[in-house]
Amino acid sequence: MDNSAYILNCEGISKAFGGTQALKDVQLHVKAGEVHALLGENGAGKSTLMKCVIGLIKQDEGTMEFEGKPYQVSGPVDALNRGISMIHQELNPEPYLTVAESIFLKRENTKGFLLDKKAQNKRCEEVLARFDVPYTATTKMKELTLAQVQMVEIIKAVSCDSRLIIMDEPTSSLDSTETDHLFEVIRELKAKGVAIIYISHRMEEIFEICDRVSVFRNGTYIDSKSMEGVTRDELISMMVGRDVKSVFPKVDCKIGKPVFRVEKISGNGFRDISFEVREGEILGISGLVGSGRSETMRAIFGLDPITSGKMYLDDEEIINKTPRASIKKGICMVNEDRKNYGLCLLRSIRENISLPNLPEKQKGLVLNQKREKKECTEVAQKLTVKASSIEHNGFSLSGGNQQKVVLAKWLMANPRVLILDEPTRGVDVGAKSDIHTLMCEFAAKGMAVIMISSELPEVMGMSDRILVYHEGTVRGEVKREEILSNKITQKEILAMAFGQNK
Amino acid sequence: MKKKFFAAAIAAAMTMSLVACGSEPAAEAPAAEAPAAEAPAAEEPAAEEPEAEEPAAEEPAADASAAAGGDLNGDGKIIVGYISKNTVDVFHATLNGAAQERLDALVADGTIDEWTGILDGNTDAAKQCDLAQDCINYPCDYVIILPAESTASDPAVTAMADAGIGVVVVNSATDSTDSAALTFSGSDDVFAGELMGNYVMEQVPEGGVFVHCQGIIGNSAQIQRGEGIANTIEKDSKWTKAADVPCDWDASKAVNTVDDYLAQYGDELKAVICDNDDMSSAAQAECNAKGREDIVCIGVDGNQGPLQMVKDGTLGATVLQDGAGQVNAGIDAIVAAIKGEPVDKNYVVPFVVVTSDNVDEYLN
Amino acid sequence: MSQKSAEVNNKKFYQTDAFRMFMGKYGIGVILVFMIIIIAIMKPRFIYPSNILNVLTQISVNCLIAYGMCLCITTGGIDLSVGPQLALVSVLLGQFIVVQGMNMGLAIILSLLAATFFGFLNGVLVAKFNMAAFVVTLATQLVIRSIAQIISNGQGMSMASQEFKNIYSGTFLGIPYPIWYMIIISIVMYIVMHWTKFGRYVFAVGGNVNAAIASGVNVFWTKTLCYTISGLLAGIAGVIFTSKTGSAQSNIGVAYETDAVAACVLGGTSFAGGIATAPGVLLGAVIIGCIYNGMNFLNIGSYYQYMTKGIIIIFAVLLDMVINKKNR
Repeated sequence: MDNSAYILNCEGISKAFGGTQALKDVQLHVKAGEVHALLGENGAGKSTLMKCVIGLIKQDEGTMEFEGKPYQVSGPVDALNRGISMIHQELNPEPYLTVAESIFLKRENTKGFLLDKKAQNKRCEEVLARFDVPYTATTKMKELTLAQVQMVEIIKAVSCDSRLIIMDEPTSSLDSTETDHLFEVIRELKAKGVAIIYISHRMEEIFEICDRVSVFRNGTYIDSKSMEGVTRDELISMMVGRDVKSVFPKVDCKIGKPVFRVEKISGNGFRDISFEVREGEILGISGLVGSGRSETMRAIFGLDPITSGKMYLDDEEIINKTPRASIKKGICMVNEDRKNYGLCLLRSIRENISLPNLPEKQKGLVLNQKREKKECTEVAQKLTVKASSIEHNGFSLSGGNQQKVVLAKWLMANPRVLILDEPTRGVDVGAKSDIHTLMCEFAAKGMAVIMISSELPEVMGMSDRILVYHEGTVRGEVKREEILSNKITQKEILAMAFGQNK
Repeated sequence: MKKKFFAAAIAAAMTMSLVACGSEPAAEAPAAEAPAAEAPAAEEPAAEEPEAEEPAAEEPAADASAAAGGDLNGDGKIIVGYISKNTVDVFHATLNGAAQERLDALVADGTIDEWTGILDGNTDAAKQCDLAQDCINYPCDYVIILPAESTASDPAVTAMADAGIGVVVVNSATDSTDSAALTFSGSDDVFAGELMGNYVMEQVPEGGVFVHCQGIIGNSAQIQRGEGIANTIEKDSKWTKAADVPCDWDASKAVNTVDDYLAQYGDELKAVICDNDDMSSAAQAECNAKGREDIVCIGVDGNQGPLQMVKDGTLGATVLQDGAGQVNAGIDAIVAAIKGEPVDKNYVVPFVVVTSDNVDEYLN
Repeated sequence: MSQKSAEVNNKKFYQTDAFRMFMGKYGIGVILVFMIIIIAIMKPRFIYPSNILNVLTQISVNCLIAYGMCLCITTGGIDLSVGPQLALVSVLLGQFIVVQGMNMGLAIILSLLAATFFGFLNGVLVAKFNMAAFVVTLATQLVIRSIAQIISNGQGMSMASQEFKNIYSGTFLGIPYPIWYMIIISIVMYIVMHWTKFGRYVFAVGGNVNAAIASGVNVFWTKTLCYTISGLLAGIAGVIFTSKTGSAQSNIGVAYETDAVAACVLGGTSFAGGIATAPGVLLGAVIIGCIYNGMNFLNIGSYYQYMTKGIIIIFAVLLDMVINKKNR
């Protein structure tokens, strides 16, 4: 193959962690000025390969070339200096740095030993002027939204004169307007000849923005294709090595009597919310990020306070001041922030699954560990958690498998009401479909399921009913029949989320 | 996995304990049934308790065989242990240094076979009890100990004496030193306190206010020196005690104290009495720096720094405790015991008030 | 999948998961064994049963303190007040038994209650008001020390009754009592940490406090109980200590938290929280004991002993991290 047309060439890369072969003889070729998608289930090796490219880890075998020259890199800073930068999925901004300080971190303007803040801010304003942003060089990072923080990272990459920018799930925390804005920026960069490696699980986005795609599976390279002429199903079967039956395996269950009801509850970020859920029902919650969806659910679960309004479980009024109280009553929640509220990654899968369920596993004063082990193994197998043993810790799992462990612990608790906040964020296609199937199973058992999702197709495909949020209130309610009969389409739900009445 | 390992650990502990049960009496034999043991052990009571007053059931060996020997535990070697009070403060560093030099010399000339090196008591009685056990297991024949506490370090002395070790207590006595130890070599801290009180009263006959910088509360030296001060100057109606300030033997805390009380009493403050002379020399330097050379500061020990100040005339006097003298007296006793010579129960090495008149005798 | 299991079968024993997990948890035990072998070769008397009993007896105080410390560290805190707790218990015992002439058992129970109360106080301050454990216990350390000095008026008091001294020097089946206390408390702590709900909550709170809250763990009680247990264990250590020296004093236990922290760290307790094992702490305490005793046996000068101890701790923890990293 003629490699000269490519800005980045990786050949024969292999990497093993202990006994696990994370990458087996993979290749990747990226042209200048193209948006190149990396597709694959979680654990397919995309992230590992990218870490090799920016020098976070060193490959065991294989060579890389960047801009036609052999490329060996000692770490992310070195990579940045050579023109490769990476925007990570989970951004960890320093909250008290200003925008300028973040952008010029480690390459500050100096006057002798001292920082030259004035010059630095001026330089930063020049860079910012090239982008349409609502903040200035002296804005503190903690005042920015997640999307704006991401933008700062992109601006930083551009200001470093990067010729290759790697974006790992850049849209996972963005709503659709923010995503559109990001895509505009990506197109501009592309026009300037910057190559972009785009990692995402959202097929729609890949079709919208990418020029070519490379597919990985289980640490091996499958194929590269031009986006033109390739179909969605083709890509999915390349990724999973099997055909995904249907995208949303929604099963209609018998919807029973109302279980849980809230009346005019208000709190930080939402007001006057009223709704009810029934046995066997999946209630979808849609709306833009920051519209008060997650805030409502956090407050119901007891993580945040409710300032006014009432909640009823089986027509009895309840007050949930702590998650502990809600769990006791049978209201459980899978948080959108898996890293912080989902798992204790240091501890084993078994301990994580049984954490909320320990009181039932007491035998006298001590735990019945035999029973615990048996039940955890069963539930982990049922949810197809991919791990050789439930004694492994959470770090060893991919995002999708971590999410399955979170689900497993609530499945074991057997709640009346299960709240799922972005249950499939950052989860690969296979696991996503597994989680959807599980939700239907939960509903079939008579559980009331509340699901928040930013992905409209997911909400529309899975819910019996959808509440659409706009700026802290419920703007409208959509029934499944209306969607099935095409009376309400994606466009109309989006319009409600943007504030139009139904 | 965890469970298995723990089971194994318990099993190991059990096995070990069984082994220990079996061999324990044998290991302790020399101590418990000394006269029944072989020849060298027979000499033990003679060497260990030449002047024992207690009714000793194991006296038959008598002084007849009190010839050469000193190998109390019969392992063919004479080993001396040295349990220091600590290795950090200046006075004890001097003492430890003297012991090191002397014991090294004894090993070189073959009087003893080995010594343990300076074991660090860390100014902690419990640590000294642990070290005493270490010495028993080493196994030492004679141990020199500088107790951190009069009561709390006592188990160290009795445990070693019970194990048949000749214990030499140096510097300050423990509660049962008289009955259990081979000999005691030290000085009387109450007397040191009295020397300080009297010196101050002589220097400033018209009286005034004084402040007392204490050592770490509860140390026997602190308690006894305080007693001496109480016996003398505190009884004098011309003198008022501003306060007892806990300064933990620490010179910098003494300086702070001087500053505080100078601010409070001004010209009325006439003297600073300290439990050691690290503190008194620092206190005097502070007074001098503030133009108050008239304030009399005095402390106990006779460390080189304060002595140099006496020589230079910046410090009036210091009470010298002849630490090296105490250690050497203790070691002399061991040498005497090894040779089978009689050993005195008590060597009192006196305190001396050092002024510019006699400082040259003590300054290196 | 089948290919993977075939790989597992081909592995040598030291490449297996089981071996790795074992080394990850107890690699420090291997260090201990090496240490013992080396010292024993140089000084055979080191492994005489009488000396082994001696070392185990010596570590009992530190071991008990270390268990409490381990709980606090695992929840992401620390308990610096353990040293003064020893002093408090000591002077209280002196007051109750010598001055008041109280029954020994009752006196011990009351003293332990006092230490437990201060532990509880630490816990409430840390858990309820979310203050940094380092700051809280640094402050209560001063308060407790001062209370001990006030009670005792700074004076030592002899506790020479044979009955009381037997707490330390008595033996059962030829084993000194302190070793029995240690064995019993080790078993209890093993059960508490690894077989109970509370233990799981401790690890969860230390590992990820938000996830623990979202899983319905009562963080306040979990943390408070850790400090309370630490207070109680320090109290028991204080009784042993007082019996050991036969004297009730307010100046004891200075810097005892250092050795306890060292034992925890050697035993694989993570300062980031969430990781610890009870057998690890026991091994850590044994290593510290062997370092002290072994260095005395090897005639290592006291000025070099701290350095040696420091270097051993750094190397042991480094080794542990290397093994654990492979484990991940």
